[in-house]
Amino acid sequence: MYPVFLAQWMKDKRRPYLILLFIGLSILATIIFGDIDRIEQSTVSVYSTEPNAEEIEQKWIELLDNHDSIEYVLMDKEEAHAEVLEGESDVALQLMENDYRLITATEMPGVFIVEQHVQQVFTEEAKLVAAAGTNSTLDLRKEVAEYLESPPLKVQTESIDGGDIANYDMGMQLLFGFTLFVAMFTIGFKVNGITADKVSGIWNRLILSPVSKTNMYIGHLFYSFCVAFFQMMIVFLIFKYILGYELGNFAMIVTIAAAFTLSMISVAMLITGFVKTPEQFYMVYPSLIPIIPVISGVYMQPGTITNPVLQFIADIFPLSHGVEAMMDVALYNAGWNDILLPIALMLLIGVLAMGIGINMVERRK
Amino acid sequence: MLETIKLSKTFKEKKAVDEIDMYLDEGESVGLLGPNGAGKSTTISMISSLLKPTSGDVKLNGKSTIKNPSEIRKVLGVVPQEIALYEELSAYENLKFFGKIYKVKKELLEIRIQEVLEMVGLKDRQKELVKTFSGGMKRRVNIAAALLHKPKILILDEPTVGIDPQSRNHILETVKKLNEETGMTILYTSHYMEEVEQLCNRVYIMDHGRVVASGSKSELLSILSTEDTIQIQLSKKSYPLLESIKGMEAVRRVEETNEGIRVISKKGSNILSDLVHAAEKVDIQIIHFQMEDPSLEDVFLHLTGKTLRD
Repeated sequence: MYPVFLAQWMKDKRRPYLILLFIGLSILATIIFGDIDRIEQSTVSVYSTEPNAEEIEQKWIELLDNHDSIEYVLMDKEEAHAEVLEGESDVALQLMENDYRLITATEMPGVFIVEQHVQQVFTEEAKLVAAAGTNSTLDLRKEVAEYLESPPLKVQTESIDGGDIANYDMGMQLLFGFTLFVAMFTIGFKVNGITADKVSGIWNRLILSPVSKTNMYIGHLFYSFCVAFFQMMIVFLIFKYILGYELGNFAMIVTIAAAFTLSMISVAMLITGFVKTPEQFYMVYPSLIPIIPVISGVYMQPGTITNPVLQFIADIFPLSHGVEAMMDVALYNAGWNDILLPIALMLLIGVLAMGIGINMVERRK
Repeated sequence: MLETIKLSKTFKEKKAVDEIDMYLDEGESVGLLGPNGAGKSTTISMISSLLKPTSGDVKLNGKSTIKNPSEIRKVLGVVPQEIALYEELSAYENLKFFGKIYKVKKELLEIRIQEVLEMVGLKDRQKELVKTFSGGMKRRVNIAAALLHKPKILILDEPTVGIDPQSRNHILETVKKLNEETGMTILYTSHYMEEVEQLCNRVYIMDHGRVVASGSKSELLSILSTEDTIQIQLSKKSYPLLESIKGMEAVRRVEETNEGIRVISKKGSNILSDLVHAAEKVDIQIIHFQMEDPSLEDVFLHLTGKTLRD
């Protein structure tokens, strides 16, 4: 087993670029796509065409300007329309005395968030105006604010274990998703070494040697495991200690990563069983793998994929279980018992895929 | 030492090897000759325990190796047709890897690596990556890798395919030396007749999965003892002349060659005067003719109706 392991290491030692590239890719993809969610603030152009435009704009901007991620900026009508038309802005807001109009070119998710906020502000103001009647709305607003400081009923939301409910962190999901996704490529390319050895005749030489077939497989698969695991650990450590991500219990993340790697090696072995040459593998594997995170919903908010067929397909692959378990650890402080099921599922996938994969590889002469 | 008994292999419907009986005595150098697709590599794979035969047996010193291949694997060195090396590693690293795989003792491994590198003439280039080697050099390392554990039997599957004459000579010399100086038993497959003639004491000729003839060179040549071969050089090519010669009673076969034509006729049939008359009739001049001794190539042609390169 060790000579096989060492030979793979010697080969990669001369060409470490692929691993370094994959580590870089994991980090870059997470930073590019993951941090957008954290830092992006949308800007909405606001204007009014009413005769008393200045007064209307001042009144509504003051009321609207209470959202964390939406900034309302005053502009000319033409300028605001041009920005929407050229795609520089998703939406513009036309203000009237007691009404509004949203100007948009596409139904982007950001438009709905703006619409929701504007509608909420206008509805609240309409309620206040209606309640105030002939009295001043300013006084009533002040009264309501004072009243709400000590309300008769208070609704408090807390998590099942009594703590605060954590905000869902899409950046964190993308960090785990991308890291595991890129590691899937490393695993595939390393496992493909078995097919390469078979085609080149090295495998036959090994068969004729005193090394057992089990040791030959273990040598290759253990090396694939080590490389992919090392790659993931480097990425996680960089995010934890350099970029300051709070990954939760790191020992649990390491355990999940190990179970995922084992499971994915088996899936790669299964795919190896379907191909005859390393070239075929290079064609099939990179075509198949990018579909898995999409089906598994790694790039989307949880609950986006509701189709039971797609959910079933996602469950067949270890990625969805791995990301889910890591998110549970990082966001909800999940314990060992909580991650036992996804780990068990990944290992089950691993055992089945490895069994079928090796059988198919061995049958192919 | 090693024998095959009615060894057969069928792939789906196709019989690749059909009831082959072969034997190798200790210290012998035996050639396995045949065109591409004759079944040589399949036979070798079965002998070396890489492939299970459909029927028949392979015996090493009287013991079957089919069910328990470990015995034959201990004494066997196989040089595959393909370059079974890690191209990204140096020649030395490759040999070290295969030495470890073959469990050559640590203190002996370094000595053995240097010995086999010396044997194949690559000692001074051992640190270079295999991928930078020429085809011939790669094949020499390929052979070296099979020699590390000092096998008693060495099987070489077309080890000189597609290489330069210098490397080819080197490989042939190495194999000859291994057989003559160390007494290693050699099974050498090739479709180059001259290599087999140069290296082997005995030859098996295979075609369509069967052994069509076997024996020492003289025994095989005696198959053609009833024929004369005449090589004729003509002033120009002529189809009517070819047809006219084919029609002669004593002529068994006529082939066009680069130099002219080759006529195989019944031994002692004395057809020279007939040939001259036939040429005169179609106004063609015979520039040169020569009675040739039959070669193994002729034997192969006689037995299979085709040349080895077909």
